[in-house]
Amino acid sequence: MLLTELLRLVWLNLSQNKFKVFMTSIGIIVGTATIMMVIAIGTGGREEVAEQFKNLNAGSIDISYEYSGSSRGAGGFGGSGGGPGSSGRTSGRSGSGGGFAPPSGGSGSFGGGFPGMGSQNRMNQERITLSKDNAEELSLMVPGIKSATISYSTSASVEGGDLEESKNLTIGGVLENYMELSNLTMAIGSFFTEEHDRQKEKVCVLGQEAAKTIFGSAYEAYNGIVYIDSRPYAVLGVFEEMGSVASGISPDGSIFIPYETGVKYLTGTGVSPTITVVASDVDEVDRIKEDIKTVLADSYPNAEFTITDAGSKMEAANASNRTLTMLLVAMAVIVFIVGGIGIMNVLFVSVKERTNEIGILKAIGCSRRDILLEFLLEASCTSLVGGLFGVLLALGITPLVESFGMRVSLSVRDGLISMAFGIITGTVFGFYPAYKASRLIPVVALNQE
Amino acid sequence: MSAHVIEMKGICKGYLLGEERVPILKNVDFTVDRGEFVAILGPSGSGKTTLMNIIGCMDEWEYGEYFLNGRPIHAMEEEELNEVRNKEIGFIFQNYQLIPTYTVLQNIILPLLTRGMTSTEAKERSMEIIRMLGIDHRLKHKPNELSGGQKQRVSIARALVCRPALLLADEPTGALDSRSGKDVLALFGQLNKMGNTIVMITHDLNVAKSATRIVRISDGELSEETI
Repeated sequence: MLLTELLRLVWLNLSQNKFKVFMTSIGIIVGTATIMMVIAIGTGGREEVAEQFKNLNAGSIDISYEYSGSSRGAGGFGGSGGGPGSSGRTSGRSGSGGGFAPPSGGSGSFGGGFPGMGSQNRMNQERITLSKDNAEELSLMVPGIKSATISYSTSASVEGGDLEESKNLTIGGVLENYMELSNLTMAIGSFFTEEHDRQKEKVCVLGQEAAKTIFGSAYEAYNGIVYIDSRPYAVLGVFEEMGSVASGISPDGSIFIPYETGVKYLTGTGVSPTITVVASDVDEVDRIKEDIKTVLADSYPNAEFTITDAGSKMEAANASNRTLTMLLVAMAVIVFIVGGIGIMNVLFVSVKERTNEIGILKAIGCSRRDILLEFLLEASCTSLVGGLFGVLLALGITPLVESFGMRVSLSVRDGLISMAFGIITGTVFGFYPAYKASRLIPVVALNQE
Repeated sequence: MSAHVIEMKGICKGYLLGEERVPILKNVDFTVDRGEFVAILGPSGSGKTTLMNIIGCMDEWEYGEYFLNGRPIHAMEEEELNEVRNKEIGFIFQNYQLIPTYTVLQNIILPLLTRGMTSTEAKERSMEIIRMLGIDHRLKHKPNELSGGQKQRVSIARALVCRPALLLADEPTGALDSRSGKDVLALFGQLNKMGNTIVMITHDLNVAKSATRIVRISDGELSEETI
């Protein structure tokens, strides 16, 4: 029989049993929707990780020091970085002078590496403040470092602009190369220079959100004045919006001032900054980490530093994301198997119901191939319907899933993949009943009531 | 081409009842020539339906040879048998055996579609027969919207569209009222005059009398009856 004619007959059979087709395809509907959501959530997770790490240079390494001598610790780590699944509203408000690492931020909750925590607690009894000199020393002594910077974060009360009362905001004390290392761009104005830092000038650059909070817009913030700890700072510019980041401070809500300015007016010398170095070659990161440890051990024999690199953090985040995806995929596979068995059962019943029809087809000379194809095409078309409804269902429940804080990234390609899975499942499970139908002996089939 | 449309030699078929073999057809020799209208007459349980199923290549048997139009059916595989059923035999059943979800036209052209024709070609090819049977105004109806006589006409049209060598009718009037039954038998007479070879199975002597030759079957054995 011609395929077009076969399809016409299949359409005829299906269109006259719409409710049955729908009921049969429920398993496929759920399966397709599940797999589409799995792919979308997996993609969303990956995108979220990528976005949260977009302020990182792949080869960046953070060095910070945690003083464990007294309970009043100046948070040595960078901001308490959010985990991979958090919405990334991270903050480094770890009291006065928390480390504020621009390119790879605080140690966050990723593996990162806390070399010898135990020994660190015993060793780090001495107050050590990492300095610009340490950063420069590392750049000179360790081969393969492209650039180095030092930063810290604190929080301070801010006034000015449209603010009716003072507001506590995150203040980052950074060097002039911070912008480049953090992949930030200016929306308006310019970043401060080495000269500003050397002169300890009271200038600042605002994050997009901070500019909006204080002035209403980036445009109005430009060339304005903000009062940090009651001292006036000239606004040199405003950053483009960055969005949430996995580590360090979300730049959007922060105010950046020159490193030395901050030390002089805000934090004093008790600051515990983070040095960030960027490796020229990402493959060299491990070796550079070892070299840094050696160089620092020379200067501070009784201290152990927390050295973390962006790559391993990203890897850890991606790994947890992969685990989640695998879990969801396993779930989708189970749903498909259950759905497939459902289709198989219904098709068996359908073959039984239509045995007489199969007998008629055999009597008029229909080949086994045609009968097999007809039933198989019916299974495929039923699954296609299921696949379509499944995609629609996935689209429908997306807002619901998103309301639980999961990022869902839908795409046409993923919809097609999910549908393909649905159709394949239906067809595979539909094969056996169709095969059985095609093998019936004509007279037996025909005499079946 | 062989003069015999059907030529059966020593056909035996039985089934096992426990360990005992119960014969249904006992060494049947049966021949039908081109253009004959043969009625196989017998009571229920005589083996006539089994014989009809074997003639129609729908059932298997144990011993014996069967040639249809000179072709050895006993040596054929499933796919060849499909082709024979499609091209050489037109079936007419007691209970019509129409597919309820298809329209009258779709039921009629199904054997032609099976051959690989498009539905347009198949419709063109079937229209002459459809008009002859007077069901051209019912083509879009479903079988359940037709009377018994009309259903049987649809069934006959389906049997004829492939212009088979043999029309095989199993109790064609069994489910019809007497008037429709007479109409169908008259139609068979007409088809036979047009050159169609017909084998009809019936338990009713009056129906059998419309044939040109009657063969009686009793306990799986055939005997010729003179009209």
